[in-house]
Amino acid sequence: MAFPLVKMVNISKSFGTVQALNQVDFEVDYKEVMGLVGDNGAGKSTLIKILTGVFQPDSGEIFFEGKKVRIRSPKEARELGIETVYQDLALLPLMSLARNFFLGKEPVKRLGPVKILDCQKMKEITSQVLQDLQISIRSPEEPIAILSGGERQSVAIGRALYFGAKLLILDEPTSALSVRETNRVLDYILASKEKGLSIIFITHNISHVYSVADRITILDRGKRVAQFYKNEVSVEEVIGFIRFGYKGAE
Amino acid sequence: MNKKWIGRNKFGRKPEFGALVAFLTIGVGFSLAAKGFFSLATLASVLTVVAELGIVTLGISILMITGEFDLSVGSNLAISSIVAGRLLQQGLIDIIAIPIALLFGTSLGIINGLIVVKTNIPSFIATLGTMMFWRGIILALTGGHPTIPYFGHSLIFQILNSRTILDFRTSAFWFVGLCLIAHGVISRTAYGNWVYAIGGNREIAYTLGLPVNKVRLFNFAFCGMMAALAGLMQLARFQSVDALRGQGLELEAIAASVIGGVSLRGGLGSVYGAILGVLIVGLVRTGLLMAKAPPYWYQAFVGLILIIAMIVNRRIQASQQ
Ligand SMILES: Nc1ncnc2c1ncn2[C@@H]1O[C@H](COP(=O)(O)OP(=O)(O)O)[C@@H](O)[C@H]1O
Ligand SMILES: [Mg+2]
Repeated sequence: MAFPLVKMVNISKSFGTVQALNQVDFEVDYKEVMGLVGDNGAGKSTLIKILTGVFQPDSGEIFFEGKKVRIRSPKEARELGIETVYQDLALLPLMSLARNFFLGKEPVKRLGPVKILDCQKMKEITSQVLQDLQISIRSPEEPIAILSGGERQSVAIGRALYFGAKLLILDEPTSALSVRETNRVLDYILASKEKGLSIIFITHNISHVYSVADRITILDRGKRVAQFYKNEVSVEEVIGFIRFGYKGAE
Repeated sequence: MNKKWIGRNKFGRKPEFGALVAFLTIGVGFSLAAKGFFSLATLASVLTVVAELGIVTLGISILMITGEFDLSVGSNLAISSIVAGRLLQQGLIDIIAIPIALLFGTSLGIINGLIVVKTNIPSFIATLGTMMFWRGIILALTGGHPTIPYFGHSLIFQILNSRTILDFRTSAFWFVGLCLIAHGVISRTAYGNWVYAIGGNREIAYTLGLPVNKVRLFNFAFCGMMAALAGLMQLARFQSVDALRGQGLELEAIAASVIGGVSLRGGLGSVYGAILGVLIVGLVRTGLLMAKAPPYWYQAFVGLILIIAMIVNRRIQASQQ
């Protein structure tokens, strides 16, 4: 049988007495947009943080491209080709746009025996990528602190799109955005899928997820309560699932 | 190129600019107040102070940019000097004894780092603990003998810290070299980028895949090594070490860093700013001496500059956000 890009099996995770995840199965196929929805505290962020190595699961297994993996740190996740825009941990306000953009993946050039930052390249690529994404910034040398919430979110998304080799994870990327900015993010998601990436899209907003996702997984208080292809259900049914934990029409 | 970008990042909006203005103001002030202040001889004596304090400050300021403190540098400086002095007294050849002392100081830094990284105790508290611990050990070790005289003659000590032309000391050249390296690493390498990121927000840095704890540990080790190096330079200069050597040094080094625009909260500041801070402190010390002011004015003066610097830096930061 064909393996999906990511397969998480029987994942459990507790923080002290709080069971954030209880035997959750989750998967993302190649070239698929997987919507991950559920109420606040359902465990969505925890689930993806396990996939990106921020947390270690108490039990369960992860398969990436069919191989069993242990992702011990975010560094390992990035090396696998997973890029993430975390809900509240995206950018360093005091550092410049360009330095934020390339953090952990800095281009270097040799100067004799030492490797120094290729600042020129960092500035150029940052400007170029953000321009391509129609994110207007004044300068790649400006500190993140002077950008608005929406601009910051866009920069973080731009970075993930630029480095995301195989899997892109967006944890509530639209929460700080205006309507127009949100629509642009939804367009990026579809464009990235066209380029061959898989995307995990976490959101509160059902109509957003419904408009771009191929499949939707619903978490409720640490449990997976449903998973289905979008064309199998209507928006109302998804809302019913999230609100009442069942499929409204049945 | 990119003129419009430069406009928003004017040097005039950085805390380092305030430090430069302060440096020039104080320099001019002393030149007017003390006869013969504006001279190469003064520069040489400023640099004598600045080199030793500055090497300690290099270590501390990089650690502060990483979001950590090391209050134990003064104790480290003293105990590393004592280790070197004792080994030399017992007849160990300097080419072995001095590197051992340097490694000893480095390992004290590593111990600080391990305590902080493994237990998550704030470094301010952890190194307050090691500062007191090592000072206590020194007092116990030296017992009733306040000084350990060192009677030998050592080529390595001469290389580290001896007079050259016009009373400029070799320590000044070491300091300048270390400053250039530290500044280059912090501002122009990926490692430097990580240091700022970790100081800015450790969690974000970690989620982006940076080796957060390795960098913190390395910077603690570097800070320890710099403290020991400064201690060896003082040992070379005074030919002796006493049990109270280096007391209060940690606060002087932190003050110098802050005067130069290094933030107490991490993630902000620069090596050249810290160097400007040390130069200001050195200028004040030498200037007051030459103006024949009683020595206690030094502390008062540095304290005053520290507060003014803090106020100015806050203003500058606020204007950027
Ligand atoms: N680092 C943590 N420490 C303790 N509890 C946590 C931590 N992260 C999440 N939790 C808890 O786990 C549960 C799930 O949280 P989370 O995954 O953030 O939910 P969601 O992203 O779906 O809103 C919540 O009860 C939350 O309080
Ligand atoms: Mg969340």
